[in-house]
Amino acid sequence: MHNVWLIAKREYLERVRTKAFLISTLLIPLLMGGGIVGSVVLGHKSRPTSHITVVSPDQQLATDLQAELENGKDSKMTVDVISPGNSETRKTLDEMLADKQLDGYLWISPATGAAGRPSFSYTPQSAASRLDHDTIKEALGRVLVKERLAHQGMVASDVDSLMEPIKVDTRQAGKIADSTSSLVAVGVLFALMYMVILLYGMNVARSIIEEKSSRVFEVLLATIRPEEMMAGKVIGVGAVGLTQVAVWLVTAMLLTSSSIMAAVAGNKVHVSLSPMQIIFFIVYFLLGYLLYSSIAAALGAMVNSEQELQQLNMLLVMPLAGCFFAMAPVMTNPNGLLARVLSLFPFCTPLIMYLRISLATPPVHIWEIALSIVLMVATIYAVLWVASRIYRVGILMYGKRPNLPEIMRWLKYS
Amino acid sequence: MPIVELQQVRKAYDTKVAVDNLSFSIETGSMFGLLGPNGSGKTSSIRMMIGITVPDSGNVLLFGQPFDRKNLRRVGYLPEERGLYKKMPVIDQLVFLGQLHGLSAATANKRALEWCERMEITEAIHKKTEELSKGMQQKIQFISTLLHEPELIIMDEPFSGLDPVNATLLQDTLVELRQQGRSVLFSTHRMDQVEKLCDAICLIDRGKLVLSGGMREIKSRYKANHVQMVFSGDGSFLRHPSVESAKNYNGMAEIKLRDGDDGQALLAAAVGKARITRFEVMEPTLEEIFIETVGDRVDA
Repeated sequence: MHNVWLIAKREYLERVRTKAFLISTLLIPLLMGGGIVGSVVLGHKSRPTSHITVVSPDQQLATDLQAELENGKDSKMTVDVISPGNSETRKTLDEMLADKQLDGYLWISPATGAAGRPSFSYTPQSAASRLDHDTIKEALGRVLVKERLAHQGMVASDVDSLMEPIKVDTRQAGKIADSTSSLVAVGVLFALMYMVILLYGMNVARSIIEEKSSRVFEVLLATIRPEEMMAGKVIGVGAVGLTQVAVWLVTAMLLTSSSIMAAVAGNKVHVSLSPMQIIFFIVYFLLGYLLYSSIAAALGAMVNSEQELQQLNMLLVMPLAGCFFAMAPVMTNPNGLLARVLSLFPFCTPLIMYLRISLATPPVHIWEIALSIVLMVATIYAVLWVASRIYRVGILMYGKRPNLPEIMRWLKYS
Repeated sequence: MPIVELQQVRKAYDTKVAVDNLSFSIETGSMFGLLGPNGSGKTSSIRMMIGITVPDSGNVLLFGQPFDRKNLRRVGYLPEERGLYKKMPVIDQLVFLGQLHGLSAATANKRALEWCERMEITEAIHKKTEELSKGMQQKIQFISTLLHEPELIIMDEPFSGLDPVNATLLQDTLVELRQQGRSVLFSTHRMDQVEKLCDAICLIDRGKLVLSGGMREIKSRYKANHVQMVFSGDGSFLRHPSVESAKNYNGMAEIKLRDGDDGQALLAAAVGKARITRFEVMEPTLEEIFIETVGDRVDA
């Protein structure tokens, strides 16, 4: 174990100290920050702040609309009210448009007949302000509905509560299963694993190829077991990836939790996870990462050059992508046969078991969880073991494939 | 007790037999030379001693025991193909390798500094390996095999690629280690180094044992029937009846005498004809023995 640690530490320090690591670690958070600041700026722009004038024969309608446009959730306009208007008014407004003192004006003509609606016409300063047009249209709609309801004799506060957006909570027996949160968490787990495996899994393979060409392996193999070397590489190179991802995640969390994000999102996506879910998230992520890195190590042991490795790249993420398609049936029936089988299949365990733990009622048996973890650890060990044989025999056999009796002898020896 | 023993070891790779029924043993505390031309199976034999590869048949005993990984901490191994981490500073590299052999970081560091001083590379300890010359890298690798004070030192072609000054430095270090009671095994295809350094040798060719035993004993098997002489003047005495064959390199002659001849008659004949500056009756060199023995086998 000590040797694994030594190898891992060396691998980790060497990589973390490179400029490439430093740059990529810092660059991504900078881009994230830049993106958020950018979207804040854009976000402010996207709430129209135009200055318009409403000309209406109906004073009440005009002031309601003014209130909606000036303090509504989608707009921050400046609205002047002229009530009622005449032909002189239109002339003045047209001049103001030409002078660019005004972004547009809305002309409301009185309704014709008792059941008729008033007619509206909007004259913008330029044809481009489509956004203003839409905002005004929506605001008008709301104002008119409120007015109609008030006409039917409804109290103003009732009208407001009726107009509130509807929120639906999903409750399941005994606990609030916030399935949106669970799905977000599973989605994040999938994306994170996919990204980290693609970005860093290959580094493990690359580092093993590198070791072959540097010829250090012969010195190492004269003291330590090839499994120890493999495990050390997987852990050391893996930890570099985790460090980077951790830096990114922490930055992302700091950025999103700040008021800036609140300003952008307006209505926050509320993700609530139980401590258990968070613990399982970490456990399954780490195990999944280790498993896939071990496979990368085996791939690295098999090939002799980076080019050969490129061709095997997709092989690495294929099982993971396969799990993605199994997610839908598992979600509809988290305790079904398919879900249970897949959740114990080590390559799918991280995603599928996590999904089940998050969604299943009654909860997943503890023995299933324990078994899935045991199976994963055993698979990681087995993959590393095979990888180390391939490696050792491969580099020293001068291209000869090991046959069974030879493998048996290796078994006895190390 | 032999520190290394090979018993009828055989190792075949895909297309060729690298080691064929090889048996020899190395006594504790000796300096042992493993000799042979390129591709004769030296590296294959060494790799089997330290468990990097496994023999197809036969036994390899290390410290009198069958292969056991924990015994490897008592061995220092310098592979033929040198390998160091290119981007790693020298001192870190040495400490890392020392730790892998079971030293604490502090001990490894202390010994590494002492050795670097002794090997005259102190100024390089904070440089990355890739910035150093080949010879420097080799010295670093040499140090890394000795940090953990191994009882058995195995070096595959330790002197190849070194300039004469550094080769001598390494040779002297090995001799000193032997005097401290360590056992040293090194392989080489250069016979002259072996004659000077080794107590015992084993000569292999195409995976087979050609010759093995103590250095003196082997040479004494061959009679002192060689003469080296330096002269100026008439060289016609080289056709003297005592001479079986002779090569004359412009006043420097290598002569093989007929069986039973002690060379005195030849000397007397030469004195009358030429001016002699050197006349030496000697045992055959290892190289000659090698050529003779291997040549015989090829003929047979």
